[in-house]
Amino acid sequence: MPGYARHVLVIEDDAETAEQLVDCLKSSGYDVDLAVDGEDGLRRALAVDYVAMTVDRMLPRIDGIEIIRRLREEGIVTPALILSALGEVDDRVRGLRAGGDDYLVKPFAFREMLARVDALARRSGTMVKETILRIGDLEIDLLARIVRRRGREIELLPREFRLLAYLARNAGQVVSRTMLLQHVWDLHFDPTTNVIDVYVGRVRRKIDSGQEYPLIHTIRGIGFCLRAPE
Amino acid sequence: MLLSKTLRSSTLKLAFIYVIAFCAAIFGLLGYVYWSTVNYLYQISDRPISAESALLTKVYATGGREGLITLINRRLADAYFNDWWYLLVDHSLDYVAGNVKSWPPSLRATEGWSTLASVAWQSGAARPLSMRVKHQLLPDGDHLVLGRDIEYLDRFGRRVTIGLASAAIIFLILAAAAGISTSRRSVARIEAINATSREIMRSGLGERIPLRGTGDEWDGLAENLNSMLDRIEELVETNRQVSDNVAHDLRTPLTRMRGRLERACNQRLDLSHYRSLVNDTISDLDEILTTFSSLLRISQIEARDRTAAFRNTDLSEIVREVVELFEPAAEEAGVRLQLSADQTVPVVGDRDLLFDAISNLVDNAIKHGRDRGEVWIAVARCTDEPVLSICDQGPGIPIEERTHVLRRFYRLERSRNRPGNGLGLSLVAAVANLHNAHIVMADNSPGLRIELHFPIPRRAVPSTFDQQEQSWAIGINRL
Repeated sequence: MPGYARHVLVIEDDAETAEQLVDCLKSSGYDVDLAVDGEDGLRRALAVDYVAMTVDRMLPRIDGIEIIRRLREEGIVTPALILSALGEVDDRVRGLRAGGDDYLVKPFAFREMLARVDALARRSGTMVKETILRIGDLEIDLLARIVRRRGREIELLPREFRLLAYLARNAGQVVSRTMLLQHVWDLHFDPTTNVIDVYVGRVRRKIDSGQEYPLIHTIRGIGFCLRAPE
Repeated sequence: MLLSKTLRSSTLKLAFIYVIAFCAAIFGLLGYVYWSTVNYLYQISDRPISAESALLTKVYATGGREGLITLINRRLADAYFNDWWYLLVDHSLDYVAGNVKSWPPSLRATEGWSTLASVAWQSGAARPLSMRVKHQLLPDGDHLVLGRDIEYLDRFGRRVTIGLASAAIIFLILAAAAGISTSRRSVARIEAINATSREIMRSGLGERIPLRGTGDEWDGLAENLNSMLDRIEELVETNRQVSDNVAHDLRTPLTRMRGRLERACNQRLDLSHYRSLVNDTISDLDEILTTFSSLLRISQIEARDRTAAFRNTDLSEIVREVVELFEPAAEEAGVRLQLSADQTVPVVGDRDLLFDAISNLVDNAIKHGRDRGEVWIAVARCTDEPVLSICDQGPGIPIEERTHVLRRFYRLERSRNRPGNGLGLSLVAAVANLHNAHIVMADNSPGLRIELHFPIPRRAVPSTFDQQEQSWAIGINRL
């Protein structure tokens, strides 16, 4: 996103995880601030306007959920990704209720984390308001629920349409299988089979077969990405 | 040790309370028996005195004072009447006839019955005695006093008292002994159970409480505790097997990764080799992490702390969504999914968990069914009971294996080399358990027919998310 300040905050008390998070985010072009305890994290989050932040659930001094609650009380809406070793749904719900925007269970793949931070950072930047999304020669009419490629209409099942629309809203960014399950099916668990891959495969066949270039790409080990060639 | 425990035991305290209550009842009863017996005897002893008095009065009426004196003297000479007492005095209480010297000072001058402790005898000998006395006024102003020694009655009364008292004491002693011996017995049995518990804490679950074979309630308790211990031992054993399996399932890929990394460290490989090596290692690690989170998930579901997310849901709708999700996968495997879930079938449950469990069942049916075969998925209400059934045409599960397949990491011999971690059906079992549903496995000849029978929904629970949950759900959909 050229011309946009990509400043993110990482609140993490484990030194090695923190270093890996910072490295990973830096290498994909973010400016990263690191806070190693809850107090420091809260101070920084109050002081600087970040595009997104990652918050460890268990922190010294102030616990991750408490930080988010206090930020929201102050009217600060910086999107927050909660990173936690507590994976149970109740805990997930507690985190999201406190004002967290997304939740990732440790251990996670760094690219999954990156995909989610990207999604959050994008959201805080330009909120997609258009009702027609265009990626390359693909056109998605969100209101009429019509998909066209090179002007030719493509028939999609309702769920397939939702999946494509979610990929299109996050165009150019990697979306993980769990994110798809969460946002397209409204389910909160990690798929253990390749069923999502196969499902995306069918959407891909409908969208990409017989076209000049593919739009839906599989990113090995992580998930999928909808993007047009440069 | 046992004695002090017996004395402190609650059974003994209870026994003593019973003994005291019992003794009170016994004493009451014996007291009544004593009182009524003695009263009756006194009444009987009064009867001859009354008869004699009536006779003497009649003689006085016919023969006058002289006739009466003659009769009294005759009576005094008769050995049969030697325990009788006769006294006739005139109106100024002066001696007229009889074997007593003078009017006893303790005797009242009015008519009636009384009991005297001693009298002054004509013969001079004053022995202590107990006299039952009747005093009668005669028409001429004379007083006739008749008496009889009732010492034998008093003796009898004393004997009755002694007998009753010793019976009461024997009762008391017997009851106390019974109480103590009962308490000792129960304390001894409890002590045996305690000893076993201590032994179990010290050395492990191998110990069992000894039975006496009497079939009494103590044996019943011991049997129940023993079968509880059996069950615990079985669970611990299952747990141990699971840990062994975890160790095995983790060690295998870990060994693989270690070897791979060692090789990378020691040999000079080109970049593409390194890359594929790292990629393989990452996917092995992912596999381990998946296994881990599946295990954790099953434990958490089993811990039953997820009923908070229970809502009214439509089983048919969940199944339709699962089938829709798996349609492409089935197509790829050349399997046709046949769905029959038209009517709304409400169940109370957790949508995520139900979706996950049903996904596992459908996934299994596709993977283990016949190639180019069909899988039938049906939701129906069987006598109001919501039932989900999934049938495939594969080789099925042998009857003797059917309960084992629900165990963690259990895999049928023929599927050892297929992908999967042997946790899918354990998750289904855990979810079914949480929903109070039961799993039925049957032969589809050929194939497996697996059914989930849900309880008839009764509880009224909110059918939609509450406000806060809804707001974050919308927040996510906006992403």
